[in-house]
Amino acid sequence: MGENLKVVRDATCTFCGCVCDDMHLTVDLDQKRIMKAENACILGKAWFREHGIEERPLALIGGRTATTEEAVEAAAQILAQARFPLIYGLSDTTCEAQRVAVAIADMIGGTVDTTTSVCHGPSGIAFEGVGESTASLGEIKNRADLVVFWGGNPAEAHPRLFSRYAVTPKGMFIPNGRKDRTVVLVDVRRTPSTPAADIFIQVKPRSDFEVLWALRALVKGRKVDPSIERRTGVSLAVLEDLVARMKSCRFGVFLFGMGLTMNRGRHFNSGALLALATDLNEFTHWVAKPVRGHGNVTGADNVVSWQTGFPFGVNFSRGYPRFNPGEFTSVDLLTRREADAALIIASDPADNFPKAAIEHLRRIPVITLDPKATPTTQLAQVAFTTATYGINVSGTVYRMDDVPITLRPAFESPYPSDEQVLTAIRDRVRALLGGNRLPAGAPVAAAS
Amino acid sequence: MTLTLTLRTAPTVPLEADVLSPDRLSGVSALEAAKLTVVHGNQRADLGEFFQVGGAADGELHLTGDLAQVKQIGTGMARGRIVVHGSVGMHLGAGMTGGEIVVEGDAGDWVGPEMSGGRIVVKGNAGHMLGSARRGSQIGVRGGEIVVFGNAGNEVGNGMRRGLIAIGGDAGDFAGVNMLAGTIVVLGRLAWRAGAGMRRGSIISMHPAELLPTFSYACDYAPEFLRVCLRHVRGLGLTIADSHVNGRYQRWCGDGIELNRGEVLILDSAGTASRS
Amino acid sequence: MGSPLRIVNGRVYDPANGVNGAVQDVCVRDGKIVADVPPDAKRIDAAGMVVMPGGIDIHCHIAGPKVNLARKVQPETHQDDVQLRTRLTRSGTGGTVPSTFATGYRYATLGYTTAMEAAVTPLGARHTLEEFHDTPVLDKGFFVLVGNNLLLYRLLQEGRREELRHALAWWLKVTKAYAPKLVNPGGDEMWKGQRNANITSLDDKIGSFDLTPRRVIAAFIEAGNELGLPHPVHIHCNNLGHSGNVETTLETMRLAEGRRAHIAHIQFHSYGAAAGKSQSNPTSRARDIIEYINTHPNISADVGAVMFGPATIMTGDAPLAYMLRRFGGNKWVNADTENESGCGIVPFRYQDRVYTNALQWAIGLELLLLSEDPWRMVFSTDHPNGGSFMSYPRLIRLLMDRGYRKEQMAHVNQKALDRSALRDCQEREYSLSEIAIITRAGPARLLGLTDKGHLGVGADADVTIYEEDEDKEKMFSAPRYVIKDGELIIEDHELRADHQGRLLHVAPDYDPQIEQVIEPFFEDFYTIRFANYPVDDRYVPNGQIIPTTPSVAAAPATAGTRT
Ligand code: SF4
Ligand SMILES: [Zn+2]
Repeated sequence: MGENLKVVRDATCTFCGCVCDDMHLTVDLDQKRIMKAENACILGKAWFREHGIEERPLALIGGRTATTEEAVEAAAQILAQARFPLIYGLSDTTCEAQRVAVAIADMIGGTVDTTTSVCHGPSGIAFEGVGESTASLGEIKNRADLVVFWGGNPAEAHPRLFSRYAVTPKGMFIPNGRKDRTVVLVDVRRTPSTPAADIFIQVKPRSDFEVLWALRALVKGRKVDPSIERRTGVSLAVLEDLVARMKSCRFGVFLFGMGLTMNRGRHFNSGALLALATDLNEFTHWVAKPVRGHGNVTGADNVVSWQTGFPFGVNFSRGYPRFNPGEFTSVDLLTRREADAALIIASDPADNFPKAAIEHLRRIPVITLDPKATPTTQLAQVAFTTATYGINVSGTVYRMDDVPITLRPAFESPYPSDEQVLTAIRDRVRALLGGNRLPAGAPVAAAS
Repeated sequence: MTLTLTLRTAPTVPLEADVLSPDRLSGVSALEAAKLTVVHGNQRADLGEFFQVGGAADGELHLTGDLAQVKQIGTGMARGRIVVHGSVGMHLGAGMTGGEIVVEGDAGDWVGPEMSGGRIVVKGNAGHMLGSARRGSQIGVRGGEIVVFGNAGNEVGNGMRRGLIAIGGDAGDFAGVNMLAGTIVVLGRLAWRAGAGMRRGSIISMHPAELLPTFSYACDYAPEFLRVCLRHVRGLGLTIADSHVNGRYQRWCGDGIELNRGEVLILDSAGTASRS
Repeated sequence: MGSPLRIVNGRVYDPANGVNGAVQDVCVRDGKIVADVPPDAKRIDAAGMVVMPGGIDIHCHIAGPKVNLARKVQPETHQDDVQLRTRLTRSGTGGTVPSTFATGYRYATLGYTTAMEAAVTPLGARHTLEEFHDTPVLDKGFFVLVGNNLLLYRLLQEGRREELRHALAWWLKVTKAYAPKLVNPGGDEMWKGQRNANITSLDDKIGSFDLTPRRVIAAFIEAGNELGLPHPVHIHCNNLGHSGNVETTLETMRLAEGRRAHIAHIQFHSYGAAAGKSQSNPTSRARDIIEYINTHPNISADVGAVMFGPATIMTGDAPLAYMLRRFGGNKWVNADTENESGCGIVPFRYQDRVYTNALQWAIGLELLLLSEDPWRMVFSTDHPNGGSFMSYPRLIRLLMDRGYRKEQMAHVNQKALDRSALRDCQEREYSLSEIAIITRAGPARLLGLTDKGHLGVGADADVTIYEEDEDKEKMFSAPRYVIKDGELIIEDHELRADHQGRLLHVAPDYDPQIEQVIEPFFEDFYTIRFANYPVDDRYVPNGQIIPTTPSVAAAPATAGTRT
């Protein structure tokens, strides 16, 4: 351990959507390492521990070392020339960087999409259909006496969701913490989260929708045939018991994960759950909350929404924002081989996209911004090394419940921030195009 | 004479050709048509850069080639006819109010979104969101007819309020979801969760289907309207057996979560419907 | 800041300086109105035109968490109403809740240069400022929600009035807010904590607190006035939208006891009930309201007029939005914010044939037509609650053109008109000067913005120039020129430049000891650290602090001051 130690109090962990802002970091400034992260969960500890400064070139062009300036020029040329460029990722960077990324998409007439389209995109679509009753995490801590987790494994993916927000903490109207809450877990299998629940309801795979639909019917006082058990693995008695609890609690909450959104039925699954929460408000107070994964995916939703009116999958080809998941979402348009260039920010699609989409990424010029080498940076034509948000860079991050938090970086990085690189690219593209690209056509009349 | 457009140069990125609508082209010569603006990715282009244009527009448009990358054909079309010898991309006949579109090949997602009149015939398969409401909107097809000879994807007729959708092959999940009224006929198989959230309207299936727990069996009958409807569908070119026309159907009411005034009709010879 | 500019030959309406249509020059330099500019300064010939200060919206909902939820939940309203990008300006989408860029540009194209976002949770302040960053042209500020704040409730419940004042000052300062806002005081606690109940009268007990809305409102009026805030307190009364709520509104105004208080969107609070039937259709009690305001100079209000067509109900009054959800076409959003607020959103449409909607429309006009002091009954639609800000020109025409008004009255539900007094105020037409007051000079004065709403030397050079037209809707829909901070933003009706407006906020002093009262509450009941809560200056690249004039010093809030 070096001599030059610093403590950063109330720093924020951006590893998952919990965005815990009570990290007390002990930083070795000589080693540029975080030695200790007080209050972090096991995932957070690993996140802080792993982020030292690696010896990587500032940028690579075609695999060769380059300066940031040269890479900015190369990136700007690619983006200015592209006819159907995709800007993707954005969930692991600051809102300040996201804002510039959307500006570039607008300027060049490209598509901007975020990792939402491969995680809670269905919840976004569901929200557009039925709305949502929701709450900040503190309301859950202070008031929720019935907590229902659906299709997620927080113990392993969002450890402090249990301890800081939703299960064990004491709150204003939950003076005894865990004792004052009933915790229900609904999933297709037992997971390390299961023991945290008072009631575990195991549903057959791909039958969440049927279970939710039956619950909605019961809440509305309609009859449900006992054959529901054959289809879903859940007996009518269990459902009736759950409905009785849901109607009689004081403040109920659904916390739902990708187990629900990413199985067959997708946005209808999320929609059914949101509608159930809405229905329950006839009887008592109910809210629902998608449990978001990446540190600032919620910020990305917000930034893209306030700038365009739509949360993700937004295309600017015609000079104004258009939204259509399936058409302007990354996996889809890459699989259809539509994009002719891609700017990937803080994301690794070459690792987690379907094969056909990755193959197309190999065909087109790709620009990446990432603190580390990844499969995507390896296929990139232009790869920037950037500083890590929350560790080296300040900025704004939105927690999964839309609460914005300002980051307190631990130590400086020799690399530029995403925001700095994107701003340089934007300015250079603007110079190349002489301002924003003029709209390619009038609005589509009566089109979708 | 008809205006004929033959794809000469395939677009490298999606091409938006909402200009390809008989009413917008009426009285236009081939030369003029070649100069019309299309949107190629983020830039303007002339129609003639991609299409060999011949004839003159008199209300009929013939397109030839693989147009899977060409979107928005027939947008807002009110009259006339488009025949496509090949496949087409997304948003075919979006918001169309009249006229007819015939596609010899396949069609992409979003055929006839929020159309209110006219007819779209797809001889091949169609993608998802056939005759559906736009995202966030509650009302889909308000009138007109869509006929697909092959299969269709998910969410056929989402939010449909009037009109007819007939599918010769299979329909994907959530056919007739949130339907307000209208008729959907599926000659092939209905996949999961048909009619979820439907208020009124009819979904007809010739095969056993698993229905949601909020649908309830009402009766067995041979409704007259169905006979008329199936004969009409036969007239549109789909293969309808006499046993379909004359058969008895199980009537399942739903969606119990909503008004419960919708129905799923399942051909009796198909065996008993099962609920999920 | 733009080059020096002289506007000549225009008829100038600057009521704050007693100028009523006189043809005189207006000179602009370095972002301010000046007495003179060099002879070679650029000239705008405003012959046949009307020159006014830039418009000021005293109460609208344009940025922040609830606005963004309302945007997201209505994609179908965006796709048919788009804002194309230009070489200089960003693209966006409209509907009743436009994207940030479209909001700024569209306000500017109506001649508005300042707008106040009227309801922001303290936790959402940072988000709101981020959206403001992307809302061009306008100067902006926001009112921060404090009327359902549980720590403030605790202080008040224990009679710790001094600490309440310090805590209020702290909250205003750390969030960079412009004014304190009360929304349905007590209602959110009933909603969140009492199985979706609501407050029905000023004397209801607020959930588990030993408090009533009456005590809460009186305390905040007192504290806001003692702090000498430029806009001491902005009140959304209890019982919004309910038949018979006029009594609650009158009682609320009486609670001010001569101190300054502003009542928001008062149209929604001016309803009577047919005798004996509280669940009955509302009637208009605009006369009682306006009589009270006419005779009580400490009270001001914005009207909250309604215009037929699409709207979005978007409010901190969560129980109200729940009540309206069946009109939302399946969509309803509720969003609770810990210790601070509730929020509800419902897409909505006002229809001229519907009794209640027609009555609301009539009451909005009635209030303005009966008002004797345009300086204290100013214009708003509570955008987008009563209708989009894009409907302002039509409402202005309804006020200025009685022939048009009569024509429109013929189209609406006549039973509703029977229950209003609109037919009795047929004669009155607003003058251009009065329009300048209710859309500019009045809001500026009520907000305490001394550099705005007028064209005197030293004022901000926010100027709008309209071409005179018999059709006032047309006239106010598209000014020929708009100057913001001395820069020509709109020329020949079109956007010619982009511009970043300022954030207007207050920074009242407080006793730093108060943080020792607040911090433990954060430890126990918030999920964000106390140290991470205040919004730092990076979120305000272009801020302006509007001074306060406290009547009491920021004395130490020690135990001795507790009662
Ligand atoms: S729960 Fe998530 S945000 Fe919190 S410390 Fe763990 S990994 Fe970090
Ligand atoms: Zn308001």
